[in-house]
Amino acid sequence: MTTASVAAEPAATNAALEADGLSRRFGDVLAVDGVDLRIQPGAVFGLLGPDGAGKSTLIRMLATVLRPSAGDARVHGCSVTRQPGRVTPRIGYMSQRFALYPDLSVEENIEFFATLRGVPATGRRERMLALLRGMGLDDFLDRQAGRLSGGMKQKLFLAVTLMHAPDVLLLDEPTTGVDPVSRREFWRILAGLHRQGTTVLVATPYMDEAERCTDVAFLDGGRVRHRGSPAEIKALVPGVLFEVRASDPRAALAALRSLPGLLAVHLYGDVVRVLCESDAPHAVGVRLAEAGLDGQVRRTPVDMETAFAFLAELGRGGDSSGSATGGKAS
Amino acid sequence: MIGDAQSRRRVRLLMWKEFLQLRRDPLLIRLLFVMPILQLVLFGYVVAADVKNLSTAVVDLDATSTSRALEAHFTASDYFNVTEHPSEDGVQQLMDTSRIAIAIVIPAGTQAALDRGETAPIGVVVDGSDSQVASVGSGYAAQVIARFNAERMANSGVVVAAPGIDARVRVMFNPTLAAVNTMIPGLVAAIVMISIMAVMGQAVVKERERGTLEQMFVTPIKPVEYLIGKVTPYALLATAQLLLVAGVGVFWFKVPFAGQISVVAAGLGLFMLTSIGLGLLISLVSHTRQQAQQLMMLLLLPSFVLSGFIFPIDSMPAAIQPLSWFIPLTWAIEILRGAFIKGSGFEALSTQFWVLGVFAVVIFGAAIAATRRRLAE
Repeated sequence: MTTASVAAEPAATNAALEADGLSRRFGDVLAVDGVDLRIQPGAVFGLLGPDGAGKSTLIRMLATVLRPSAGDARVHGCSVTRQPGRVTPRIGYMSQRFALYPDLSVEENIEFFATLRGVPATGRRERMLALLRGMGLDDFLDRQAGRLSGGMKQKLFLAVTLMHAPDVLLLDEPTTGVDPVSRREFWRILAGLHRQGTTVLVATPYMDEAERCTDVAFLDGGRVRHRGSPAEIKALVPGVLFEVRASDPRAALAALRSLPGLLAVHLYGDVVRVLCESDAPHAVGVRLAEAGLDGQVRRTPVDMETAFAFLAELGRGGDSSGSATGGKAS
Repeated sequence: MIGDAQSRRRVRLLMWKEFLQLRRDPLLIRLLFVMPILQLVLFGYVVAADVKNLSTAVVDLDATSTSRALEAHFTASDYFNVTEHPSEDGVQQLMDTSRIAIAIVIPAGTQAALDRGETAPIGVVVDGSDSQVASVGSGYAAQVIARFNAERMANSGVVVAAPGIDARVRVMFNPTLAAVNTMIPGLVAAIVMISIMAVMGQAVVKERERGTLEQMFVTPIKPVEYLIGKVTPYALLATAQLLLVAGVGVFWFKVPFAGQISVVAAGLGLFMLTSIGLGLLISLVSHTRQQAQQLMMLLLLPSFVLSGFIFPIDSMPAAIQPLSWFIPLTWAIEILRGAFIKGSGFEALSTQFWVLGVFAVVIFGAAIAATRRRLAE
């Protein structure tokens, strides 16, 4: 697979974020295994992958709070290992867990971290109010942070990390455990930052959020398995995808396993998704009829969720063509 | 390292934040001031209190003027409260149910024996389940009987040799004054240790648990700044606590203060550094607050038992005694007791100051080194 728009020319020193062979070992576990990344300024880069894939470890190394076991990374050319003091002023880091003081108010939390980071006193309050207004938090200045709802906490956390106007935002699953409405709201704010030119690296377990990114990388077992724009990722899926709605989805799944020209078949909720070599919905219908089942067969576009499910299966099936260009053997 | 204005601003900011958080936790503040007072009252009144008003039974099998006079001597004493007059068989039952702590049995024929000029045995039965009551109670009983004897002989015209024995025995068995006087200086040191370690031990691990420590790493704050900003508020708090305890000790319990303030201040300063260092070390090696709490108990318990705070070191088995040398509280208590009671100065306490000084430097130094390492990770 190619890494088209993400991997620019080798001499891309103007990249916002670069990682070279970045690795981290915890005891016997290699949590991040030789990750190379090159993220252009202004990108919204989605870091996808299941729990335990190494997303948090990777982000913590980029944020300078965890030392790599091997390799290095640079933020706008500054090394996270050798020049952490020059990296931190340019980044905003939101850890996976809400990491503000629950017993301090919204305003006090912002004041504390902004002062600590040396944000000049003049214009600080205006900036705070503008940020909070943009997030709908301007009525809660005196509310203790621990008494905010989950979605509001995350927005406050984002506001705290934005006070010093960072060029690069590192967000570790900022919307996990947040209700759908607040998630949409959070992404609306991220879209606004994207328009202003901020580079965003966001880890997420939600595939629907991946669609909103300009580029994504799929991390599994500490390695980058796939990367590219969402369209490129989806284009990696070969063949044609059909959705089958049958009265007995499990029987349909079993029957379709013997379909000629089958690439992969999955049960997705109560819908069977079939990936075929050729555009032959008829063949699918015939196979169902042979098994004494009836169902509707419909051609459907590949979405990110399906793409990764199929790519993961192809990878496991020994077909290495679709996997692991990002992971370097360690 | 703490030179420039930016750095000082960050330290002040951290201190402001700690005080703000303390103020938001009124329970903690109250605990920090109620706890030492409560301990003082407990130790001052309960533990060190004299044995008084022992419930007493008198079994008068003689029923003569002599036996009644003897009973009157017990009744007149502050130490005995004659509440029961059982039969001889009833004593066991009363003692089993803890209604009496001591019983005086006056056998029949006591007056007759005395009149004949013979020695008359008196039975004193003591509840041995409380060793202090047993030893003190029987001692007092012996005194009362001795006084009775002396009076009887005086009345009969026999010259009696100095009855001063009475007073000497009583001082030995009456720990009231001495106990409070040695307890308060020890308590001042113990409270410094408990409160500093309790709060410092939680301080860093709490921020680690909440993730705010990690958030701190992406700011320009340096480990030393973090340490100073974090430690100063609690050191001030501990100072307020110990002033309170010392004040209550001197003005309420009338503990005489014979020494120099500078000796006490120097001793407490060194001991505070040691305690802060221990608390920080606990906080840095613990990953959860529960771990920190357990570790703190692990350090506090031997400190209290082996330092001479409650039990005198001299009365410990010889093999155990050297252990007390490795406990900073031992030396802090020696300095404070010396300064409070004996008015000892720096020369008299130089060994103790040296040892405590070494503890302070080593432990606080280790804590700073550990902070640099753990915070950098």
